[in-house]
Amino acid sequence: MRDPQTAPPRLHLAFAALGLGFLAIFSWVFFKEQGAEWRSAQARFRKLEATVKNPHQLAQSAGAAGVRQVWLPDLDRVDRCTTCHLGVDDPAFAKAPALFRSHPGTWLTTHPVERFGCTVCHDGQGEATDYAHAAHKPIPGVARAMRPLETIEANCGACHRSLEPRGAPRLAEGRRLIVESGCVACHDIPGFEGVSFRGPGLDSLGYKVRPDWLEGWLKDPKGYLANSKMGNFRLSEAEIAGLRALLLSQKAEAPQVADVDWKKADSANGKALFGQLRCVSCHAVNGRGGTMGPELSRIGDKVRRDWLFSYLRDPHREQPDTAMLQYRLTDTQVRDVAAFLLEEYKTPGGEAEAAPAPYQDAPAVAEGRAVFVRRGCYGCHKLAGIRETGKIGPSLAGVADRDPDQLPYGGKPVRRTADNYIFLKVQQPDSLGAPSLMPTFSFAPAQAAKITLALASLHKADLPASRVVKEAPPTPYRPRGAFGELVTRYRCLSCHRIGGSGGDLSTVPLDRIGSQLQHDYLVAYLLNPGAVRVSVEARMPVFHMLPEEARTIADYAATTFLDDDLDRYDTRFTPAEVSRGEQLYRQLGCVGCHQLNLQGGYVGPDLSNTGQRLRPGWTAAWLAAPNRYKPGTLQPDYGLSPGDARALTAYLASLGGSTSRAAGKAASATGGGHP
Amino acid sequence: MSSRTLAAALVVFTVGCHRQAPAPPVDAALEALRTEEQTAGLNYAEGQGKQLFDQYCATCHGDGGKGDGQNASNLNPTVPDLTTSKNLADATYVRRVIAEGSAAVGRSPLSPPWGRSLSPQEVAYVTLYCQALAKKKP
Repeated sequence: MRDPQTAPPRLHLAFAALGLGFLAIFSWVFFKEQGAEWRSAQARFRKLEATVKNPHQLAQSAGAAGVRQVWLPDLDRVDRCTTCHLGVDDPAFAKAPALFRSHPGTWLTTHPVERFGCTVCHDGQGEATDYAHAAHKPIPGVARAMRPLETIEANCGACHRSLEPRGAPRLAEGRRLIVESGCVACHDIPGFEGVSFRGPGLDSLGYKVRPDWLEGWLKDPKGYLANSKMGNFRLSEAEIAGLRALLLSQKAEAPQVADVDWKKADSANGKALFGQLRCVSCHAVNGRGGTMGPELSRIGDKVRRDWLFSYLRDPHREQPDTAMLQYRLTDTQVRDVAAFLLEEYKTPGGEAEAAPAPYQDAPAVAEGRAVFVRRGCYGCHKLAGIRETGKIGPSLAGVADRDPDQLPYGGKPVRRTADNYIFLKVQQPDSLGAPSLMPTFSFAPAQAAKITLALASLHKADLPASRVVKEAPPTPYRPRGAFGELVTRYRCLSCHRIGGSGGDLSTVPLDRIGSQLQHDYLVAYLLNPGAVRVSVEARMPVFHMLPEEARTIADYAATTFLDDDLDRYDTRFTPAEVSRGEQLYRQLGCVGCHQLNLQGGYVGPDLSNTGQRLRPGWTAAWLAAPNRYKPGTLQPDYGLSPGDARALTAYLASLGGSTSRAAGKAASATGGGHP
Repeated sequence: MSSRTLAAALVVFTVGCHRQAPAPPVDAALEALRTEEQTAGLNYAEGQGKQLFDQYCATCHGDGGKGDGQNASNLNPTVPDLTTSKNLADATYVRRVIAEGSAAVGRSPLSPPWGRSLSPQEVAYVTLYCQALAKKKP
């Protein structure tokens, strides 16, 4: 055996070289770590801290030393951003260089760093401790570079699931556009489960529309209405011919034509009625008016006279799920309104209406049926005999996490990100190189970008429930009996909310309306809804309701829509309280927004007849905390003490009080005003 | 013949390469939002302020802050023109008027306090927008 002490010299050399090699690597690592970006940043911060803080504050602060991190196990994130951004949650650094500056705004009070880290909102690589690897700027191969401020609301949307998130206007607008454009008719979109979208049913379309209109509409809906909800399906001539044949052959129910003399139609009376019924609260004409119903600016080019008459007479017979109410009008009145609409709102010199032609071209109808199914028309439009086969588009769950390298960009010079793919798809669905069934909606670029933000918040892995901010879905509200029939007839829930369900075109929800309004005032108001707020454009329609119907509604409200806390309010006011209230009314500047005795502003309701209009318990509760009852209301919260709220209530309750009751009633019956 | 073909191929190749020099990739959605901001002349925070201003303030102060809102004619004292007001330079003052009302700075009570309706962040946004209005003098 060889003596171990006399190993060959070559092996000695190898060990020496290996040792030196290790030493070199070790020193390199040591010096690199010592010279790390974050260490020099922390050194600079310590110098800065000495200039920003006094010695006492300095002694208290732990001083920056070592890597700092926020670990969020429930989100599977480690954020080391505060290793360098050391002043981010300290207001003393408001004017420091960007690296150390305190976070702008008050965001960290609602989203403290310890609970939310940084990348939850900002994206980027939280584990990194140097500028480049943290992906402050996009780097190839890293899916989530930091978001610039302009698109940051996409990340608000990951937790904040409300359809109207407050403080994130771009996200809110994107979600609104998704709801309004009917994206949910073709796509399952997480967060929009309660949203439904329906176009008009087509079962009697052969009686409803003019053939030339239908052809133009199918070719390009924007050609008829610039803000049509229906997108352009880029249909071929053959597809249009098929759909035209299919749709014009739909004649499920003939219009109910009463025995009216069209020669005697008085379109001047129709015009007056159109104004008086307040049709423009829901329908725009020439660019002005509501958006709940279709714009009527060219309705004369579209619909047939008999159908329009029948529809105005009983909209629910033609379209059971329409938002439109059924007015109580005579056949003559309906005739006049129809005549006015058809005369006033059409292209001058348009062709006269031809009689409905029979369409029995069986092959064309069969072709139309195939197109109807292939293009998913049933997603929005009901049509008898069409087998609905589920949503035609793919689910958008997790669309933000699709692999950017696998997505098509149609050769556009854009960075490969899910954002850019979504944007291009939303704006020009047919431009990504593959044929697409999705219609073109002609969104403006900024609109498409906001829809992109809304969709870019849809991630694959769902968040733990403790992170999600969401409203409870409304429970459907279906009143029964005589009251239920009236709610259905007058479509109260198109504008008003009860129990969280219904539209929100109106003021506060109706859940406690019986404790808010005086019974007699409500009856008078329903019979002749005046303008409570002069400056509001969407006004309650004048229903031409029967007096017993108005009483039924008011009685129901007075027994059902109550808030016991409001009703228990002690209404025995003293004269001292009334005069203190009058003083407060002046002192707070109420006159700026409210009319009283023909003086004041037009923003809030006229207060001249408050004594007959409002119940004092409600007035007091509203004045004390208006945002509790109507978030975003223009009624300021003055932070009134209960005593001051009571005094102001006493004063308001004394206005137009019971002594001048009859006079006040007359005033409210003619549209409100000064008794 | 073959050299000519080669030369032609070279020319085609060069031109082709030149044409293919790719435009720098952009973020299309981001660009669209930036364009919108530039058109309005308002940055992100000011844009948020504008939305709140339009909702809460414009009925009196007017869409452009000139004191010509639809309710302005009903007010006495009149609504000041924010685009020329010297007080707009002082952010603390503006924030105070928005949050606590004009009465808090010794003026009429007609501009109400919004500090309980708006969050501090929202008050800050409106402040920034008002200051932008003053800077943006046409």
